[in-house]
Amino acid sequence: MSDPRSLWHPVATSIDLPQHHIFHGQLLGREVAVWRADDDFVNVWENRCLHRGVRLSIGTNDGNELTCRYHGWRYANRSAGCTYIPAHPADAPARTICNRTFPAVERYGLVWSGEDPVGEPPLVPMLDDGTPFTLRSLPVNASAEIVLAQLRDHRFQPVGALDGDHAAMAVTELGDFALALTATGANYHSTAVFFVQPVDSDRSVIRAVLTDTPADSEQIAVLRHHATRLGQLVALAETAATDQPAPEPMVATIDQVSLALSVMPERETNRSAPLRVQVARKWETAHDIMAFELVSTGNPLPTFQPGAHIDVHLPNGLVRQYSITNGPGDTACYRIGVKLEAESTGGSQALHDTVNEGDVLAISEPRNNFPLRRDALRTVFIAGGIGVTPMLAMTQALQPMGLAFELHYFAQAEEHLAFDEIRSTLGDYVTVHLGLSPGETSAELTRVLQGYDHANQAYICGPGPMLEAARTIAAEAGWPDQAVHFEYFKNTTEIDDSSSFEIALARSAVTLQVPSGTTILEVLRDHGVAMPSSCEQGACGTCVVPVIEGDIDHQDVHLKQTERDAGDQIMTCVSRATSDRLVLDI
Amino acid sequence: MTPTVATTCADPVILDQWHPLLPLDEMTADNVGHTILLGEQLSYQLDTDGAPVVWLAADADATALPVLVEYLYVWVCLGSPPEALFAIPEFAEPDRRNIHAGTIGVHVSAPRAIENFLDMGHFPYVHTDVLGAEPHTEVAEYDVHIDPDTNDVWATECVFYQPRAATTSTEGQMSDYLYRVPHPYCVILYKTTPLAAERMDVIALFCRPIAEDRIEAHMFLCLLDPDNSETVIRKFQQTIFGQDKPILENQYPKLLPLDPRAETPIRADKVAIAYRRWLSDLGVTYGVIPAA
Amino acid sequence: MIKLYDYELSANCYKQRLILSLLDVPYESVPVDFFPGLEHKSDEFKKINPLGHIPVIDDDGYVLWDAHAILVYLAAKYDPSGQWYPTGDPQLLGEAASWLLFAEGTTNTASAARLYVNLGYDFDIDVCRAGAHRLFRVLDEHLWFREREGLDWVCSGSHPTIADIAIFPDVVLSEEGGVSRLDYPALRRWTDRVKALPGFTIMPGVFPVGTS
Ligand SMILES: N[C@@H](CCC(=O)N[C@@H](CS)C(=O)NCC(=O)O)C(=O)O
Ligand code: FES
Ligand SMILES: [Fe+2]
Repeated sequence: MSDPRSLWHPVATSIDLPQHHIFHGQLLGREVAVWRADDDFVNVWENRCLHRGVRLSIGTNDGNELTCRYHGWRYANRSAGCTYIPAHPADAPARTICNRTFPAVERYGLVWSGEDPVGEPPLVPMLDDGTPFTLRSLPVNASAEIVLAQLRDHRFQPVGALDGDHAAMAVTELGDFALALTATGANYHSTAVFFVQPVDSDRSVIRAVLTDTPADSEQIAVLRHHATRLGQLVALAETAATDQPAPEPMVATIDQVSLALSVMPERETNRSAPLRVQVARKWETAHDIMAFELVSTGNPLPTFQPGAHIDVHLPNGLVRQYSITNGPGDTACYRIGVKLEAESTGGSQALHDTVNEGDVLAISEPRNNFPLRRDALRTVFIAGGIGVTPMLAMTQALQPMGLAFELHYFAQAEEHLAFDEIRSTLGDYVTVHLGLSPGETSAELTRVLQGYDHANQAYICGPGPMLEAARTIAAEAGWPDQAVHFEYFKNTTEIDDSSSFEIALARSAVTLQVPSGTTILEVLRDHGVAMPSSCEQGACGTCVVPVIEGDIDHQDVHLKQTERDAGDQIMTCVSRATSDRLVLDI
Repeated sequence: MTPTVATTCADPVILDQWHPLLPLDEMTADNVGHTILLGEQLSYQLDTDGAPVVWLAADADATALPVLVEYLYVWVCLGSPPEALFAIPEFAEPDRRNIHAGTIGVHVSAPRAIENFLDMGHFPYVHTDVLGAEPHTEVAEYDVHIDPDTNDVWATECVFYQPRAATTSTEGQMSDYLYRVPHPYCVILYKTTPLAAERMDVIALFCRPIAEDRIEAHMFLCLLDPDNSETVIRKFQQTIFGQDKPILENQYPKLLPLDPRAETPIRADKVAIAYRRWLSDLGVTYGVIPAA
Repeated sequence: MIKLYDYELSANCYKQRLILSLLDVPYESVPVDFFPGLEHKSDEFKKINPLGHIPVIDDDGYVLWDAHAILVYLAAKYDPSGQWYPTGDPQLLGEAASWLLFAEGTTNTASAARLYVNLGYDFDIDVCRAGAHRLFRVLDEHLWFREREGLDWVCSGSHPTIADIAIFPDVVLSEEGGVSRLDYPALRRWTDRVKALPGFTIMPGVFPVGTS
């Protein structure tokens, strides 16, 4: 007999997964939470929240994500990656917080899964050749072995002759956990395939499928007939089980969380493009804006959070950042929008002209330097042009939670508005402002940002001058610095790299010189410190390092004024020191 | 990680603690009562002087076990007891009301219940519209330390937004909390009261371990509230704990894992991490899965 | 206004809060210190109900006890549509009466197991749990066939009845008494449907249905 953990087993029936329900199941001693997402994907997950071990089957399924009942952690459809930790609404959860998933395939009205199943779920030719009809499953307090033994003596009547009692029975063995029984009467015969799901060493579920679907008018009678007959079998099996000593329960091992997660989430370690994606679709979503739908060529795509971006490594060697526009749970692809920049240095040009459907690109894992709080009473999104892309992900995350928000979308003209298909689902929450002059834009921003109240948050992404205007207007309207979040396309300030100073790495007790013309980031990398980075111009926030001591010469556009004033973090790709020495917490 | 549940206790650290058996006023001189502590059947009764006597039911000589009456409860030790129980000075303040709010059985280990009590992050989800409400979900940074004299674990500077923090509340407030763990299975919280600016209500959970994965939790209150009836105060407290119970009973494993890699902590769990480490340092093995 | 002598953690009192909320009938909850105060056993309370148990209602001087009897009264009196207690349809009414008796069974098994665990009641816990499983198995099959016939509720009508309300608390709180519902998927789906009814209300131990 093969190891049951290497086999596919049924864990539920398809009708056990109605919309927004979470099915509570068990296989080989391991509990699973099984749920269907709105895109029809069936998730089979370890029934245990990674945070504090609470059963996910008592949580909620909103069709895209599963939310844990205890502290509200949200996990994405498909990837099971954690997308939100409400206790720290300003943080982006570590991408690697990912629940354990098991494969799932629906076949014969049953959901198949397994610990570590080899190959494909069983193909049963007699079901494939027929019109399978799934019967009601029955739980049994007996081992699979006892149940299978009872099934070999099981009797039922063929469809058409349910009232009789003398059908001839024939058994066909179908492997370790299944068999087929054919009941033959004078004029009729029926075949049922019985799969026995090993729940634990002393419990099973019988899941049965008839090879042929009875006429509509007969179905209920057939179902009742089998329910009655199987009910009798259950009683026999349970009696047989009580005559035997209770077996040791099966033990399902729980994976340890990674070392990094067992302490505080560690900073990522290098700039890399580990993912390979294929352009599944490329279309012009607006004038001069191309949309790309990227699908994985290998493992499922990692989880992303609203506001996250990916680095796209282009065929011409350039690296560019693009925000992911997808809503929660929409995890089968990443969709990005690329604006053709007039003074393009080759990035957007390459994507528009040389990258086509079917091409493979190298991208980084999603990284979130623009995290979305979901504890605001009102959230104002202000997008200028292509700056709408992160907002699309964010608004789609807030909408199903019923949190109040408004999206103000500034663009030159109607034909410049991108991603109609997403915006149309947001209805009245979107206000479009077209063709405004800088003065009119400021007037409009003043209107939009008036009336700051407690627990309001604003997110602003667009061209530099608009962001600067919004920054001033928000401050004048009484918005505290911490409530206004910016994402810059780029850093247009002139970088002054003339200073020279020394940096001390507190954790490794090393002191390094930063000469003029060289960045801290480069010095760190030269000395073997693996450092993440993305835009390398002080806009995205990826290369941040905590500062313990010293005066910082901030030249980035990522940090807020209060964060600059606090003086405890630095963007190593552009910022420098005004003191002779900086002590970094790395 | 294969949790095995012991039937009796072989953990000297736990055997040598005082354990809260039951409220003194539930013992009588007329009848012998029976209960379970750490897997042992116990019998109890008041003697003719009204003092509690507790003995092992299996002990033919009915040798009296060490007992202590403190904070409305009878405490018992199955090993060598410490001289005194931890101090709750507020208990003796004349304007306080000391209330036993009820005892509720929970199918979980004592340390899981203690950790839940130390946790603010669940308020909006588990005590919705009472101790918390979405979207006010943030757990702000707070401090944790171990008192060098008493070896109690403390969490200080805790604040959380609460729509209805106590029976005396009429509106939402930012509540200040202090948490204190003076005993492996007992926890105390001090909380802002709308009634007095400088003083705090005291709310404690004293767990009686019936088995490694099963407790009865005594809810003890020491409040400044002069107005609400005992019935109303008890109702509030039992409602809160009644909301925690199904969460606790859905945690797996039921014993608290002390291996840092068993679960995923976040900054909000600082005090829980400190509590787990503290249990490890004390050498507690009963009710936990010790780190490998 | 109706007065309900009430204990927050009681499944039987919850049945009344639930029907009152579903019918949108205002009432005053009078908290009884059931535990640890044992107020329902006091001489004072026995003047209200000589049996010494709750729930009891006092509807403008009309006093009634016993959970399932109160459900009958409230639905008959306060549901003008006559659907919760279907007096106009003899067959449905018969079914409702039958399932109310079934609910006596779930109360004496599943809810008794819960009292044993939560409040230390002296019951034979193995008997309670085995009895609960026996009834849950019957109900799960019943509800599975109901779904198959396109019906959502315990009785064969298209609208829920007080039989659903009488059984629901015993079922939904069963895990507190150590009676798992892992083997009863149709029962779990039915609890989701009850939770989605307009006017549904929770109690400690009962989670609300998910968002949207
Ligand atoms: N009655 C207390 C509730 C205390 C209680 O029993 N709950 C524990 C476990 S959740 C706790 O941490 N409560 C926080 C709190 O009391 O606010 C209150 O005044 O709020
Ligand atoms: S245990 Fe799931 S969110 Fe905390
Ligand atoms: Fe709680």
